[in-house]
Amino acid sequence: MAALLEIRGLTKRFGGVYGNHDVSFDVAAGAIVGLIGPNGAGKTTLFNLVTGFLAPDAGEVRFDGRAIAGLRPDVLNRRGVARTFQILKPFPRLTVEENVMVGALARGESMPAARDFARRCLELVGIGHKAADLARNLSTGQRKRLEMARAMATRPRLLLLDEVTGGVDQPSIPGLIELVARLRGEGVTLLVIEHNMRVIMELADRVVFLHLGEKLAEGAPAEIARHPAVVSLYLGSQGAQRH
Amino acid sequence: MTSATVSTRAALVVPALLVVALALYPLAFTLPFPRHIVIMALLFATMGTAWNILGGLAGQVSFGHALYFGIGAYTTAYFYKHYALSSLVTWPLALAISAAAAAIIGLPTFRLRGHYFVLASVFIMQAVYIVVSNWSTLGAAIGLELPVHKAADWVDAVWHLQFHGSKLPFYYAALALFVAALVVFQWIRRSRLGLLLNAVREEEDAARSLGVDTMRYKLVALVISAAFTTLCGMFYAQYVLYVEPVSTTSLIVSVEIAFVAIFGGIGTLWGPALGAFVIIPLTELLRAYLSGRIALGMAGSLVDGGVLDYLKYYAAGGGGQLDILIYGLIIILIARFQPRGVLGFFRRLD
Repeated sequence: MAALLEIRGLTKRFGGVYGNHDVSFDVAAGAIVGLIGPNGAGKTTLFNLVTGFLAPDAGEVRFDGRAIAGLRPDVLNRRGVARTFQILKPFPRLTVEENVMVGALARGESMPAARDFARRCLELVGIGHKAADLARNLSTGQRKRLEMARAMATRPRLLLLDEVTGGVDQPSIPGLIELVARLRGEGVTLLVIEHNMRVIMELADRVVFLHLGEKLAEGAPAEIARHPAVVSLYLGSQGAQRH
Repeated sequence: MTSATVSTRAALVVPALLVVALALYPLAFTLPFPRHIVIMALLFATMGTAWNILGGLAGQVSFGHALYFGIGAYTTAYFYKHYALSSLVTWPLALAISAAAAAIIGLPTFRLRGHYFVLASVFIMQAVYIVVSNWSTLGAAIGLELPVHKAADWVDAVWHLQFHGSKLPFYYAALALFVAALVVFQWIRRSRLGLLLNAVREEEDAARSLGVDTMRYKLVALVISAAFTTLCGMFYAQYVLYVEPVSTTSLIVSVEIAFVAIFGGIGTLWGPALGAFVIIPLTELLRAYLSGRIALGMAGSLVDGGVLDYLKYYAAGGGGQLDILIYGLIIILIARFQPRGVLGFFRRLD
């Protein structure tokens, strides 16, 4: 499979600290790639670099063969790159349906067309019954689904999910795993930040492990779970046994 | 009948009745002062509604809107004084200047978020005030007077927009501006543009991540908002026939414009009008009353130098300093007790 997203030597400094340092990897079209690492590893920085919220100091990001580093977030989104946020950012005083319509409207769709499509996206993520509620009245799990619906309404080819299950209670996790698989079924390529190794093992085709801004390991989920650096820095020896 | 159809009908009937009442008002009140009060209230209702497009729908709180009011007022005054061309001719020029100013100011300041945008608008307003107060072409601190024209007939009067001191034509022009601002506000709010502006207001980064060119939509909102404010400035110059910095391009006027919207209900259709019809008559009456008192008591009470006399002195000083004191107090109370504005007490109206 051809790479939809190519990251080459990506580097971002914050003062004297590297947010990302010489990070390179590919995301194949149609794949789910997991991005893991301890807090401060540079996962969200990498998301911000790929989605245009930050400009890299060095390195290259290519989407569908074209260089995209340094383009604005809205421009990148219209080219097919969507994201969710670790710290959820709903439009709190708009209804759930209006939240999702925004992405379709920004692409020039009419109000009725955007409303129809928003409904379909909400059904896809399983919160169709909440369409008329204000977004601020949703639970955390529902807000995560709302962010996914909103991103899907922009008809992305690549979707970056920042912490699918973070802050969600254990019983809700299988539903979210199933949802991410369903998004892939819609033809979307996914790059996913996730702390829960069980979720990563179940979903990801490949896993990239970051530590202090650098890529220390990359491979199939089972390989990464056994990788010495990942075990010692992230999972701990007990964690490796548990998973 | 369901409650939905009742409220839909109420939503159409109540505004229609209000407009009819406003249209009939000058026929019942024929003296200049009662008409003047409502003309000023309509003017600020229009500007508050225009401000609300940017401040309410897009969430960009500007304390610099008097700049656009000043552009309208000074364009009218300058071209009428020197070339005898009224607003009837010069409005496209004024709107072009207004749009250019909006772009020049919006491009850098819309990069700022929240409080920083508000502060930038205050500083720019003060800078503009200082420039206008010292710009001799615009009459500096003294301002520009529009020559009085004795119209030969009604065609001549309309061409010059001068009506022998009659307030009636101005009254209906102000009413038309106000209705136009309401219609445009409501149309934007219900449209694609309105929802995108709301997204910018609610969470700008999320809007950007969803493909919304936030700079572009903020600029569109500002240009529309500034255009109405500029038309109000043109109206004001034709109406008062005298333009000077304090009453046009000052921070005080900017605060007044924002204040009627914030007081009545930011982001609501009727809030700015409600605010204007409460605040403007109050301040006009207060000014008339206090300046009368000062004139009468000038020899006696003022020399005491008590706090109240000090306030009266400033109130009578023409700059309306006491208004600002009262506005400040009310803003604190609104922020503390009812951030949705007075309309927040009657939620169902909106």
